[in-house]
Amino acid sequence: MRHIVDIDLSPEDLQFQEEVQAFLTDNAYAHGEDYNAWRMKWFKLAREKGGWDIPKWPVEFGGPGWTPTQHYIWEKETAAANIPWDLPFGLSMLAPVLMNYGNKEQQDRFLPDIRDRKVNWCQGYSEPGAGSDLANLKTKAVLADDGTHYTVNGTKIWTTLAHIADWIFCLTRTDDSGIKQEGITFLLFPMKQEGVEVKPIITLGGSHSVNMVHFTDVKVPVENRVGEENKGWTYAKGLLQHERTGLAGISKSLVALEKLKEQARSVKRGNGTLLDEPSFRTKVAELEVDLLASEFTELRSLASAAAGSDPGPESSILKLKGTEIQQRIQKLTVEAGGLFSSAWGALPVGPGFARAGMSGYLASRAYTIYGGASEVQKDVIAKNVLGIKKSGS
Amino acid sequence: MNFELSEEQQLIQDSVAKFVQDNYALEERQKLVAGKTGFSAEHWSTMAELGWLGLTVNEADGGFGGNQIDTMLVMEQFGKGLVLEPFFASIVLGARALGLGGSEALRAELMPGIIDGSRQLALAYAEEQSRFDLDDVVTHAKVDGSDFVINGTKCMVQSAATADQIIVSARTSGGQTDRGGISLFVVDASADGVQVTGFPTVDGLQSAEVKLTDVAVPADRLIGELDQGYAILEAVAMDGILAVSAEAVGAMEMLYKDTVEYISEREQFDHPLSDFQVLQHRMVDMFMEYEQCKSLLYRATLEAVQGGTEAMRTVHALKHYVGKAGVMIGENAVQSHGGMGVTEELRIGHFFKRLLVIDAQFGNSDYHLEKFAA
Repeated sequence: MRHIVDIDLSPEDLQFQEEVQAFLTDNAYAHGEDYNAWRMKWFKLAREKGGWDIPKWPVEFGGPGWTPTQHYIWEKETAAANIPWDLPFGLSMLAPVLMNYGNKEQQDRFLPDIRDRKVNWCQGYSEPGAGSDLANLKTKAVLADDGTHYTVNGTKIWTTLAHIADWIFCLTRTDDSGIKQEGITFLLFPMKQEGVEVKPIITLGGSHSVNMVHFTDVKVPVENRVGEENKGWTYAKGLLQHERTGLAGISKSLVALEKLKEQARSVKRGNGTLLDEPSFRTKVAELEVDLLASEFTELRSLASAAAGSDPGPESSILKLKGTEIQQRIQKLTVEAGGLFSSAWGALPVGPGFARAGMSGYLASRAYTIYGGASEVQKDVIAKNVLGIKKSGS
Repeated sequence: MNFELSEEQQLIQDSVAKFVQDNYALEERQKLVAGKTGFSAEHWSTMAELGWLGLTVNEADGGFGGNQIDTMLVMEQFGKGLVLEPFFASIVLGARALGLGGSEALRAELMPGIIDGSRQLALAYAEEQSRFDLDDVVTHAKVDGSDFVINGTKCMVQSAATADQIIVSARTSGGQTDRGGISLFVVDASADGVQVTGFPTVDGLQSAEVKLTDVAVPADRLIGELDQGYAILEAVAMDGILAVSAEAVGAMEMLYKDTVEYISEREQFDHPLSDFQVLQHRMVDMFMEYEQCKSLLYRATLEAVQGGTEAMRTVHALKHYVGKAGVMIGENAVQSHGGMGVTEELRIGHFFKRLLVIDAQFGNSDYHLEKFAA
């Protein structure tokens, strides 16, 4: 692995890097080991390292308090290693909202289970009529006269892993008299209860990860409301920023690019390989150039975060570039597989990477759609960063 | 120049368009995809009855003596419904190879069944190592008395699992990538030593691996002269490229039209999406790519009708463009549909997947640009 910024690493950073590498090596999954037991043990040991199980959480909530450089090192090292699967919904999306806007009881009630990977959360944001225009959401929450609970009715869509989730954090409409962004309330409630119906949506790769979720008279105690009524949009907006930063996946793409080169080298052409063919090699090189730039865009974003500013405009740029890069890598994997990338079903045909390449490519088409479609990201940058105003608005 | 269809051609186009319209709504198609053979025997009979299976077969062999324009008309309409029946494998590739190089006796034996749909052919040209090169052949045939004995494995053979005969390219002399020394054999799918393992492709069609172990094939099952099969293979591949390109053009038309319709109806931010200029321009870009593809398709098809394999350079241009435009139109159709675009529920995803498969068939976009520039 190349480490472009090694020259900038202080002796302390280098020591940290070694420590991370040692941790990842020592606790790597051993063939034949019980996966779940290993996963839980891994998080426990990471916790004992001083909050390595929750790298992004602030110190007051048990996080490690790393510098941006240390975060960067962690990202790079874990991207190349086989670490246990983890879901972002509770850990990276809900947790920051609870820390910033939840009350003490809510923090004490929900954060420990999130940290222990005991409770799976899903995100109830998009609706059939509210995609890019998320604030247009219509799922209704009506507060009972006695003020004890809300009754929720409506439909959410693209709800990732709703079928395995224990709880949902959900944006609901509590007031539709004013502008759309006002009148949204942030509620938390269990998924496994009467009135919650989950219907699978099968995506292009033939897999089931997203769902349509219907709520019929779901009762939510008022103590499960985060922050104030009608202020949910403010809380959610901050969360979207977190989601977008997390979706860029630059470190993972660097690893994926190396893998792509390896795969292309395994495809023999004449006396050389596919990677020697000018058209293919050029596309790989262009990707690498984009990654060199994006890696530093990410570092600049981290540095500004370290200086105490919000993940601002850079996060939008990163999501745009990062997802586009991921898609291009997937596309080239399909091209490398040639005819064999078309093979589907259980039978192994052609080189091993071809089958996974096609599913990966098809799945990657959603990367520029979810978490704020690229078109919307560009609108945000035009408006907020470039200061372009539309006439009449 | 005259781009008007003759009355006969117009009739063919209309009848295929009607068939697709009547039988290939997405839900019905997906039922066939999930079925045992992956297509409808009933549709296949209909195609035979309507004369489509004999459309391009020589009149002497009982067909209608049509050419690549007729195939184009059929395949473009097929592309609009993503038709599953093995017309491409059996007629465009199989019957064409047989017609070009099969002996009179062989044609007399096989053609009637092909035309009436009771017999299906497939063409096995690709191998594990060959990528897109038709001349890279390791499967070999050795003379054994009056027979040949074939050994080797053919990959990604479209519609082979339901084929009665598989036309196999095999090396009879020369090195791995020599054009001389390739021969074509008609192999019975039920012959001893033939193992056909079928599997679906991502576009819902059927493909197979064909393993040949000491398969004895009589010398009279040779298509074309011994060692001279490559020229036939190349001519058939050229027709194959024209046909899948026509299919792709049909699919592209559906994609851009469906997308224009969707963005005109879908409202976000209190406006139809079509109010956003960035999407308007994207629709125009998709439309332009489609039209350019169509122009190259017409150009290459007309050149092929007039000049045979002389048209190859234009065919390279076409296949390059079809691959590039297919991905561009497919990706943008999906993107413009947002979340709905990545589901199996809308037909656009299925058109997109078919275009991805077509890009790899007989060489992808890069491969043909390289050939074009050479």
